[in-house]
Amino acid sequence: MAAVRTLVSQQRLGRLLLYLVTAAVLVAVAFPAYWLVTTAFKYEVDTIVSPPIILPLRGTLRNFTDVLRVEHIGQFFLNSALIALVSTGLGVLLGSMAAYSLSKVYMAYRIRQVIMIWILIVRIFPPITTAIPYFVIIRGLNLSDTHVALILTHTAFTLPFVIWLMLGFFQDLPDAIDKAAVMDGCSLWQRFCQITLPLALPGIAVTAIFTFIYSWNEFLYASMLTSRTAKTLPVVIAGYMSDKFLRWGEMSALAAMMVIPVMIFAGLTQRYLVRGLTFGAVKE
Amino acid sequence: MTNGLAPSHPEGAEPSSGSPRIRAAWRALVGHTAAAGVVVQDHRRERLMSWLFIAPALLFLLLTSVYPLLYSLRLSFFSWNMSVPNSQPVFVGLRNYTRLFSDPVFQSSLKTTLIFVTSAVTLEFLLGMALALLVTTRIRVVGLIRTLLLVPLMMTPVVAGVLWRTLYHSTYGAINYFIGLVGIPSQTWTGNPEQALAAVITVEIWQQMPVVIFILAAGIQSLPLDFYKAARVDGASAWQIFREITLPLLKPVILVVLLLRIMDAFRIFDVIYTLTFGGPGRVTEVLSILIYKNGLQFFQIGKASAMSWLFLLFIFVIAIFFIRELQGREQGGTA
Repeated sequence: MAAVRTLVSQQRLGRLLLYLVTAAVLVAVAFPAYWLVTTAFKYEVDTIVSPPIILPLRGTLRNFTDVLRVEHIGQFFLNSALIALVSTGLGVLLGSMAAYSLSKVYMAYRIRQVIMIWILIVRIFPPITTAIPYFVIIRGLNLSDTHVALILTHTAFTLPFVIWLMLGFFQDLPDAIDKAAVMDGCSLWQRFCQITLPLALPGIAVTAIFTFIYSWNEFLYASMLTSRTAKTLPVVIAGYMSDKFLRWGEMSALAAMMVIPVMIFAGLTQRYLVRGLTFGAVKE
Repeated sequence: MTNGLAPSHPEGAEPSSGSPRIRAAWRALVGHTAAAGVVVQDHRRERLMSWLFIAPALLFLLLTSVYPLLYSLRLSFFSWNMSVPNSQPVFVGLRNYTRLFSDPVFQSSLKTTLIFVTSAVTLEFLLGMALALLVTTRIRVVGLIRTLLLVPLMMTPVVAGVLWRTLYHSTYGAINYFIGLVGIPSQTWTGNPEQALAAVITVEIWQQMPVVIFILAAGIQSLPLDFYKAARVDGASAWQIFREITLPLLKPVILVVLLLRIMDAFRIFDVIYTLTFGGPGRVTEVLSILIYKNGLQFFQIGKASAMSWLFLLFIFVIAIFFIRELQGREQGGTA
């Protein structure tokens, strides 16, 4: 009896420890975001004091109004949104058409396999490996600092992702409806537009959100291909490092304004998150 | 089945008007014995159409991925300093490559990259696995945890870089404050050659560990429960269950996680760019940063292209290994 009791209390202790460790990890995970948000509301003098203020007791909106006064900031917001939207639209259109074609059996198995592996490999390459040729080519085409340059490079990066993810969503759809439409003499295009797309709408939405977030966050191509007209927000944020690093409040305010829409979008994809993260390889 | 389920809707009574979707759904429900002959007739056109569907994407990828990569391969055989006005590429054969093989800067960058990738992915994986097991088996507040984990994952990498730079700040940063509470003296972190790489790895783990947790947790949850029940009846310990059941069953998912994380870790750029820009000295100068500096700061286009291609080949070998492993598994599973 006593032995059982110690066993139970040992288990309890173990359980408590587990909870404590998990809680500690979660606090560590959450703290940087907390720091970002609180810094955004701090007075400038409160951001550069030692010891730092962990629990701010006074706050201001000053940083946000300062951000809005940064030169051309409205345009940079618009650039980010426009480039992400157009690149997402293009990627989802081309990608879901390709995925639809790959989800059908009309193509020989071998050819399909080769195309899919090729697409996967294109996505695996680090962006820096295409950065140099992009830089030279875009300059040669006189497309430096244009929206088109970023839309094309971002789409090039997200297209393989869209194809793989949409392929998974299409394969989930019941085949019977599509087959029945074939009997009715619907063309491939009709079936794609009027049957498959509406049925795969949640999948398309999730894929679109993922590609939008990628483009919205993208920094490398944006920093090397734009200077002013097509400059996006990540480049503006990185600019704080060199120009006004100690303006932490203003920088955090801009960062928060940039990150919060993404977080809301990301929350919407929760159900399909793992699918998106794994390229459709693991389904939840 | 057709007759049994739809006795009141004989084949001839199907709606002849309405959208194709409705008609198609109808066919699917009622059965499609009537029009079986049409398939063969349209097969050729369908095949042609399916090529037309995939052609735009393939063309786009050819122009935006394959062509630039081949162009960069060509450039790697030239010496070209683009910062000199009107300079032309000069063919130098394999010289860019032979020089890189004996270039200590390139070698140390490769080493830094490998250290970064292996330590970040190993730690992410071990921590992520532990937390995934906890989340799936012991803890109830999963919704809250998911939301918390999403925050670093979805944070713009550039923002993560500047944010951690403020956290690491030697005077005003929060990290020195916290370690000060337990009596550890202030450190310079990203300014200290001995700590900078670890500091960068920490940020990578903070941001990417949620990927491992999410994927592994999904994998664990999809495992068949019967095995566990049987094992528990047999009196297996938690560790035995993990080693003998969870781990082997989870192997495909683990392979996917590792492939993704290794490939993505090699890709790191934004965070290091904003956090240390490769410094102090060259301590955190991973290949992405080195190529960036050579190509886009000093405009040594040929040299940077050669570096890019060596990097590519390197990644390619690792990727092929994983893809083969995964494919072999899939084929073995279905056969």
